[in-house]
Amino acid sequence: MSIIKTNDVKKWFGDFQALKGISMEVQEGEVLVICGPSGSGKSTFIRCINRLEQHQEGEIIVDGIELTNDLKNIEAIRSEVGMVFQSFNLFPHLTVLQNVTLAPIWVRKKSRSESEEKAMELLTRVGIPEQASKFPGQLSGGQQQRVAIARALAMEPKIMLFDEPTSALDPEMIKEVLDAMKELALSGMTMIVVTHEMGFAKEVADRVMLFDEGLMVEENTPTEFFDNPQNDRTKLFLSQIL
Amino acid sequence: MNLEFKKSIAWMRENLFSSIPSSILTVATSFFVLGFFRGLFGFAMASDKDWLSVLNNMQLYMVQAYPEEDFIRVWISVGLALVFAGMSIGLWKSTEESSLSEVFSKFLRVSLAFLFFTVVAPTFSSVTDNDGIIQTEESFPMETRLQLLIPSAILVVVFFVLKNLKLNYKFNKSDLLCFYLAIPIVLMWIIKLPTIQLDSSNQRIFPDPLMPIADTTKTPWTIIFGLFLAFYFIGSRFKDSKNIKRTMSISWVLLPLFIFSWIFKKPEIDLPTILGQDIPIFIGIFLIGALTITFINNPVVEKYFSIYLGVLIAITGIALFISVPILLKSALLLLVLFTIVIPAVSSSTKGKRNLIIVWGVSLFTLSVLIRGGSSDTQIIVQQQSIFGGFSLTWLLAIFGTYVSFPLGVLLALGRNSKLPIVRLVCTGIIELTRSVPYITWLFFASVTMAVFLPEGVNFELVVRVLMVTAFFSGAYFAENIRGGLQSIPKGQYEAADAIGMSPFQKTSLIVMPQALRAIIPTLVSSAITAFKDSSLVTIIGLIDFLTIGKVIIGTQSIPVNFVGHDRENLLFIAFFYWIFTFTLSRRSMKVEKRLGLGER
Repeated sequence: MSIIKTNDVKKWFGDFQALKGISMEVQEGEVLVICGPSGSGKSTFIRCINRLEQHQEGEIIVDGIELTNDLKNIEAIRSEVGMVFQSFNLFPHLTVLQNVTLAPIWVRKKSRSESEEKAMELLTRVGIPEQASKFPGQLSGGQQQRVAIARALAMEPKIMLFDEPTSALDPEMIKEVLDAMKELALSGMTMIVVTHEMGFAKEVADRVMLFDEGLMVEENTPTEFFDNPQNDRTKLFLSQIL
Repeated sequence: MNLEFKKSIAWMRENLFSSIPSSILTVATSFFVLGFFRGLFGFAMASDKDWLSVLNNMQLYMVQAYPEEDFIRVWISVGLALVFAGMSIGLWKSTEESSLSEVFSKFLRVSLAFLFFTVVAPTFSSVTDNDGIIQTEESFPMETRLQLLIPSAILVVVFFVLKNLKLNYKFNKSDLLCFYLAIPIVLMWIIKLPTIQLDSSNQRIFPDPLMPIADTTKTPWTIIFGLFLAFYFIGSRFKDSKNIKRTMSISWVLLPLFIFSWIFKKPEIDLPTILGQDIPIFIGIFLIGALTITFINNPVVEKYFSIYLGVLIAITGIALFISVPILLKSALLLLVLFTIVIPAVSSSTKGKRNLIIVWGVSLFTLSVLIRGGSSDTQIIVQQQSIFGGFSLTWLLAIFGTYVSFPLGVLLALGRNSKLPIVRLVCTGIIELTRSVPYITWLFFASVTMAVFLPEGVNFELVVRVLMVTAFFSGAYFAENIRGGLQSIPKGQYEAADAIGMSPFQKTSLIVMPQALRAIIPTLVSSAITAFKDSSLVTIIGLIDFLTIGKVIIGTQSIPVNFVGHDRENLLFIAFFYWIFTFTLSRRSMKVEKRLGLGER
C-alpha cells in the first residue's frame, strides 16, 4: 500500500510557481531518489511532505493522514516523518547525545534512560558512538550529518526525507554519510532522497524521478532512467551531470 | 630566579616592545595609568581627607532612615541572601586549585603596588575649592608617607619570603574564597578604628579615640558569615546534587520577592478584602487563563481566537478606566499579555501543563506584589519613604531586572508573533516606553501616575518607580532578546519542527537557550545599566546611595560637621559601585566561558 500519496500539489512563492502539480505515490519500504537542476522544486516538494512548506493546492496524504492546517495532524505527521537537512541543523547548544534524545524525551515522552540507551544504539549504527558527549561544533561535517540521521531515527519514523544530505560535505566525507544511508535503505526504511549522487541512485534506489521547473518530467526504475531515458530533458540533465 | 627573570624580559620584548609603535603605545599607556593611580593614591591618602565621614555614616549609606527596631528584618534579608550564596558556591564548587605560593604571590603583588604608589604619590596636589579657585596644597606630607612606607615595606618582604618558600599545598578556589571572606570578619574583632565621639556639650573630641567596632555591626556579620560557611559545607557535601541545584535556582528567583515583602512590609493584613476580593479575582482570572490554555487547539476556539483576544483587550481597556480593584486591572492586563503568547507556546499536553503552572505562579506573584505594594505598612519612619541608601539602589536594580526580564522575554516573543494584534500591542509597548527618557518616566511615576490609579489605591513612590522601571528596562531587554532571536538560523526552527516539537518546546528548548546565550554580554550590560541608572531617582526626591554621599553627608553639620567632605564620599561611592559591577561582569565572563561561547 502507498504510504505517501500526493495529488496535483501546487505551490507558489509570491508570483513564482514552484510546484506546478505533482502527483505521485510512494510504497512502504521504497527508496525514491529525486533529482533535477537547482530551482526545479524538488526540495520544496519534500519539504511540503512534512509541512515545512505549505502547499496551496492539491492534497498530500501521509500514512493515511491528510495534511491540513490542523496542528494535531501536522504534529502527528512530523513525528512519523524524519528529515535530514543539507546544512545538518544540529542544535549547537546540546551535546550529540542530547541532540538525539531530545525528541524521544520531549515529544515521545519516553524516560531519559530508555532514550539514552536507544540513542547510543543509533549512534553505534551510524558509526560514531564515541562522539556522544561532544558538541556538534567539535565534529566534522560527515559526523554531524550522521548525528542528524541518528536524531531523525530516534523518533522511530516510518518515512525518512533527505534534502541534499551530501551537498555541503567535503568529497571524502560523502561516502561515510552515503554508507549510513545505504544501511538504512537495506533495513527496509521508506526513504525519499533529494540528491545529485547518481551512484547512490543507481545502487540503492527503487525508483528515480527527475524534476524540472516545478514538474515531474520523468519517473522510472534506476536502470531504465540511466540507460534508457525517455525524456529529452532527462537526457540533457544526465549528459551534464555524468 | 635568573631564568624566571630572563623569561619575563623575553615576554616583555615580545608583547610590549615588539615594534616602535607598540613601544610608544606601551610607554604612553603606562605613563597615563601610573599617573592616574598615583594621583588617586595621593588623593585618598592625603591627611586632609576625613574618611570618617564615610565610615561614620555607614548606616546611613546602607539603610538611611530605616527604623532601628526593625533592623532585624534587614539582617535576616542579608543573611538569607548570603546563606543562599554559600549554599550555591558549595553546590557549584570550583574544581580549580591554586597553590599557597600562588596565593602569596597575589598578596605580594598587592603590597608591592601599595609600596610603589606610596613612594611616588605626589606631595602637593591642586584642589579646586568651592569658589572655583585652584589652589596647590601639601596633601601628602613626609610623615604620612613614612608611616605608610614602613609597614608596606615589611609586608612586601614577608610575602616575598613566603612566596619563595615554594609552598605547594593546593587549595580549592572556592575554599580560598571563603578564606578571603573570613579575613574582614576576623579583622572586625581585632582592629580598633578611630571613632567619632561627642563630649557632653555635643562637640567632637579631637583626636578621635580608637574604639573597637560596634557590637551591633560585628555580631550580626559574624553570625551571618558562620551560617554562610555552614551552608557552604553542606552544599559541597551533596553527592547527587541535580535536584538540589534545581531547587536552589528556583529559590534564587523567589528570594527577591521574599526579601521585598520582608524589608518593605510589616503589612496590615486586611483579611476581609483578601478573602472577599483578592482571592476570588485570583481564582477567576486564573481559571480564564487556564481554560484558554487548555482549549487553545480546539478548532472552534482557534477559529474565533482573534475575536476572543479582541474582546479581552476591549474589556481590559474599559476596566482600566472604570472603578474596579487595581488587582483586577493588573490581572486582566497580565491575562491579555499571556493570551497573546499562548498560541505561540502551547500545543502538547505537557507544554500546556507547564504553561498553566507558569501562568499560576506569575499571577500569584503579581497578586502578592500588588496587594503588598498597595497595603499599609506598619513600619513607620519620619521621611516619606522607608527606603534609602544602598537598600534602595539594590532594590531598584534587583527588581528592575527581576520583573523586567520576564516581561522582556514576553514582549520579544510577542513582537515576533504571527498574530497582528499581538505584534501591534507588543511593538507599541516597546516603542512607547523606549521613546521617552527614563527621567520623564520617573516624573510620570512621581507626579502623573496617581491620575491613572483608581480612587483609594495609593502606591508608595518606590513601588510606582519600580513599575515604570520594570517597563522601561523591560523594553530594552525585549529589544536585546529580539536581536538574539534573529541570530538563530532558520534551520534551527525547521529542525525542531521536523522532529515534531510543539511551539512551546521549540521556544523553550531550542530557540530561547540559544538566543539568551548569544546575548549574555548585552544582558549583563543591561543589568549593570539598570543598577547604575537607579541613581537617577534622586531627581524625584528618593534618597539613593549616591544622594546620601553627595548631598546628605556633604551638607551635614549636626551632630558632626562634614560640610564639604563630599569628595572622599564620591570616591567611596564610585568604588562601591565598581565592586558590584565588576563582580557581575566577571561572573558573566565565567558563565560565558563555561557555556563555550565563541567556540561554536
